[in-house]
Amino acid sequence: MDFLNENLLTILILLPVIGAVLTLAHQMFWKQEGQLKWLTLGFTTLNFVVSLALFSKSAVAGPSGYFFEKNVPWIKAIGTNYHIGVDGLSFWLVILTTFIMPIAVLSTWHAVDKKRTAFYIFLLLLESAMIGVFVSLDLLVFYLFFEASLVPMFFLIGIWGGDNRIYAAVKFFIFTAFGSLLMLVAIIALFFLYADQTGLGGSFDLIAIMNAMKVGTLVIPPQTGTLLFLAFALAFAIKVPLFPFHTWLPDAHTEAPTAGSVILAAVLLKMGTYGLMRFNFGLFPDQSKEWAWLFIALAIVGIIYGALVAMVQPDVKRLVAYSSVAHMGFVILGMFSFTEQGMQGALYTMLSHGVTTGALFLLVGFIYERRHTREITAFGGLSSPMPIYATIFVITTMASIGLPFLNGFVGEFLIMVGMFQSQVLAITTSVNWNIIATMFAGTGVIFAAVYLLWMVQRVFFGKVTVDKNKGLADLSWREIGLMIPLLFLMVYMGVFPKPFLARSESAIKAIQERVMHQAGGTVDHAEAKPPVSGDEHK
Amino acid sequence: MSTLFLTDLLTPEASVSIIMPELVVALAGVIVMLYDSFFPKQRAVSGAISLIGLTVSAVILATMWGGGSPTSGWNGMIAHDNLRLSFSFVFLFVSAMTVLISTVWVDRENVPAGEYHALLLFATFGMMMMSAGNDLVVIFLGLETLSIATYVMAGLRRGDLKSNESAMKYFILGSFASAFLLYGMALIYGSTGSTNLTQIADKVANPNFPALLLIGGAMLIVGFGFKIAMAPFHVWTPDVYEGAPTPVTGFMAAGPKAAAFASFIRIFVLGLPLIAGVQSSVYLHDAWISALAVMAIITILVGNVAAIMQTNVKRMLAYSSIAHAGYALVGFIGAGMAKTAAARDEAIASVAFYMLTYAVTNMGAFAIVALLAEKNDRRAEFEDYNGIGFKSPVLAFSLSLFMLSLLGLPLTAGFMGKILVFRPALEAANPLVTGLVIVAVIGSAISAYYYLRLIVVMFFRERTSEWRQPKMPLAMSTALVIAILGVLYFGIFADRVIEKFAQSPSGVVVKAEK
Repeated sequence: MDFLNENLLTILILLPVIGAVLTLAHQMFWKQEGQLKWLTLGFTTLNFVVSLALFSKSAVAGPSGYFFEKNVPWIKAIGTNYHIGVDGLSFWLVILTTFIMPIAVLSTWHAVDKKRTAFYIFLLLLESAMIGVFVSLDLLVFYLFFEASLVPMFFLIGIWGGDNRIYAAVKFFIFTAFGSLLMLVAIIALFFLYADQTGLGGSFDLIAIMNAMKVGTLVIPPQTGTLLFLAFALAFAIKVPLFPFHTWLPDAHTEAPTAGSVILAAVLLKMGTYGLMRFNFGLFPDQSKEWAWLFIALAIVGIIYGALVAMVQPDVKRLVAYSSVAHMGFVILGMFSFTEQGMQGALYTMLSHGVTTGALFLLVGFIYERRHTREITAFGGLSSPMPIYATIFVITTMASIGLPFLNGFVGEFLIMVGMFQSQVLAITTSVNWNIIATMFAGTGVIFAAVYLLWMVQRVFFGKVTVDKNKGLADLSWREIGLMIPLLFLMVYMGVFPKPFLARSESAIKAIQERVMHQAGGTVDHAEAKPPVSGDEHK
Repeated sequence: MSTLFLTDLLTPEASVSIIMPELVVALAGVIVMLYDSFFPKQRAVSGAISLIGLTVSAVILATMWGGGSPTSGWNGMIAHDNLRLSFSFVFLFVSAMTVLISTVWVDRENVPAGEYHALLLFATFGMMMMSAGNDLVVIFLGLETLSIATYVMAGLRRGDLKSNESAMKYFILGSFASAFLLYGMALIYGSTGSTNLTQIADKVANPNFPALLLIGGAMLIVGFGFKIAMAPFHVWTPDVYEGAPTPVTGFMAAGPKAAAFASFIRIFVLGLPLIAGVQSSVYLHDAWISALAVMAIITILVGNVAAIMQTNVKRMLAYSSIAHAGYALVGFIGAGMAKTAAARDEAIASVAFYMLTYAVTNMGAFAIVALLAEKNDRRAEFEDYNGIGFKSPVLAFSLSLFMLSLLGLPLTAGFMGKILVFRPALEAANPLVTGLVIVAVIGSAISAYYYLRLIVVMFFRERTSEWRQPKMPLAMSTALVIAILGVLYFGIFADRVIEKFAQSPSGVVVKAEK
């Protein structure tokens, strides 16, 4: 058990890499590309099964309070350690990753017909990198996985994508790389701040830095702190993507192959929100609070803007992509409310968005495989030739809109409750901005209903206007099979959210308390501020 | 003073053992030349002799890595410290790789192999003298040995106009730079009364002659700036790199540049140090640090922005090498700003390590470019790489790996190199230098565009013209395997190498006072 406790996460990271090596070997020696999908499916499923061991009750927290923790020196000359572990926050994201991968692989069954060896290798490497991102507790190791996840996705979009794939792939890469490089500077600067102030030598260890801040041996000067905070925030805001850094997303989503879109929506975007929660809130609690207004404002703009733009999209996939912008706006809103409900809701929305939007992209992929178009006007009345498809699509849409008893509702509801009670905007003004913010965010839900239902109506109902659509085959057993777990989760997460929320509760609470109550050294300063600025407003 | 000098002359401290690695390389060069005149046209043999010479030299070098304190020989003319050892190691590596890579090209172009290999070895000898020289004269002699050999190498393809242009340009501008360098050295000698760096370092404290020293220092910056292709002295680079035969271009980008860095660092960081409490040394130090920082910023921006617009892969790599000189300057400035001797040594080691990672990656990239180029370097445009991704997957994926390493993506050598050179600069906590690091980072982000372009071209485009799989000779595949393993090894397990490079404490060797 001890072995498992220490190495489970490493196994999760390495299994896909082994899978990738075997895929390559298989292709080199047997040259049976047709079998590779089975091999990849096997490895991703195996990884999912292994990841279920994370649920194990006998797991004990490591020295830093993280489960399945491992901490060994990696490059001593730089001072970086291979430090990994999970808590309630990363736990679900790891499971989400391992869960969505086999489904993504299944979706490629017939869709990918060229260069399959490379495709599956990149898919597997991507899985490793994504898991690595969620479990690293060392800043440099985190950066490493964060950047490493770019390369496979770049190739996935660039080689197997649509007509405009080159533009989309390069844009995706450069946007993300730009943000994360500035984060790298901030990481190194933090290393020296730690070295300077604690006198212990530099450290990239998140836990060590956070502890030093807690006990007061490390006090980040406010001005430096703001710069570092913004450098981290920019990297993550681009990844989320937060308005106005979102422009890479619609392109990347539209051009990516179905499996790529699914992974992009379900997991890659979560790296941004996860990073904000783990690193920005953990390392810069004061600045997070101070700048919350900006993020809340951008999130609201994102929610409304994403919804409005989605409404006018002629392409179903692009529509779903813009709906992602809106949903991720909700997540940011919840996080920056700094209330327990809001943050729990944010995490919950991250998970349910992964499930529903992943499902939507899969569904769009199914119809694309049949018709090789995604234009809304090319369809109409699909419910008569494809009843099963229509049913599943409508359920998924409802989940995405946030219909009660489906997963989308729980998260959005919690976020709005959280935002309503939020104290964080009261710091800088006397107006009840939290209520206004909630109101505006609420309109986003209505807009979501408008653009999604309108799209459903145009695609599925009415008469079949295009002759080609009359003879369309309904979903195959494989397609239904891969949707079932997603549908099950949509309902389960909507009806019975407790097990999910219970697991993340303590981790979220710890982050929330850190930000609101025991910030790193400048608590008094921050709390003394409101009356002063409030007076100015009067 | 003069009597001391006389006794030095009469009892030379001629310790052969300390310059053994250099001697071995020079000797190998002589053997190759002699062998070639008796048995001409035996490419494999002259290549093998060169490789053996370089390897033996590297082995001797490794045994010298004692971890003791720095010493010197030849009356303080030859330094024996980590700067010399680590940089010499880089040179030997670069030359060995060049020999391996050149096989294809030497066959294809029917180049006189004996002369080529001899020149390469003499150039290596010059580079090693540059990193070992603790005296302005030795450094200059090393530099000239290196330069003259490289001028010829750049023009080896006699029938080709571009190669001629390259050699001519390199020669004229290079001589110009050498003149600047020499003038600077003369002025420094004039103001300090010595060419020995140890003694210069002592005399910097004297407040009476900073003005002349400043001018001398400025001249040196111009001279070395040319050699490392620092903006605004970089203009020759693209033409020379494009015209020179591809393996030679790879060699020039990695070897002579690192050698110039070695002497540059030795003269400025160790020879013109900051002496606590002495106003003139503070003035001098501030002057060269800020001059270099500003030029580094320009270098990074110019290199990266100009690289975007290139349509020729070799030209793109030339501009990228300018940008990389800028990144290495970041570490150099970090070394100059270091507060303790240990921190300074680490920073110097990080620059050496950076040059090593750049050499590994760059030699790998040039190997593939050379392989694909065909006769007279015909196929070196981006278009020529269209859609070869899945036609020659091994080559294309290796080239992609090298591009990602040049870009500085984690798990590759380039990433480790960048982290290491940025660290000392950020440690200095000086606004200008921090700004420089941020510019360097933005430059890396810009560079993503043109490095990725090669990947895009290879994998995302379709090939319209026919594609002949290039033949892969054994030497070339060896070089490729070494480069790939090197990129991954330095990217993942860099620990031991970095430690080694920082070992054997550096510093200007202080000769026992007489």
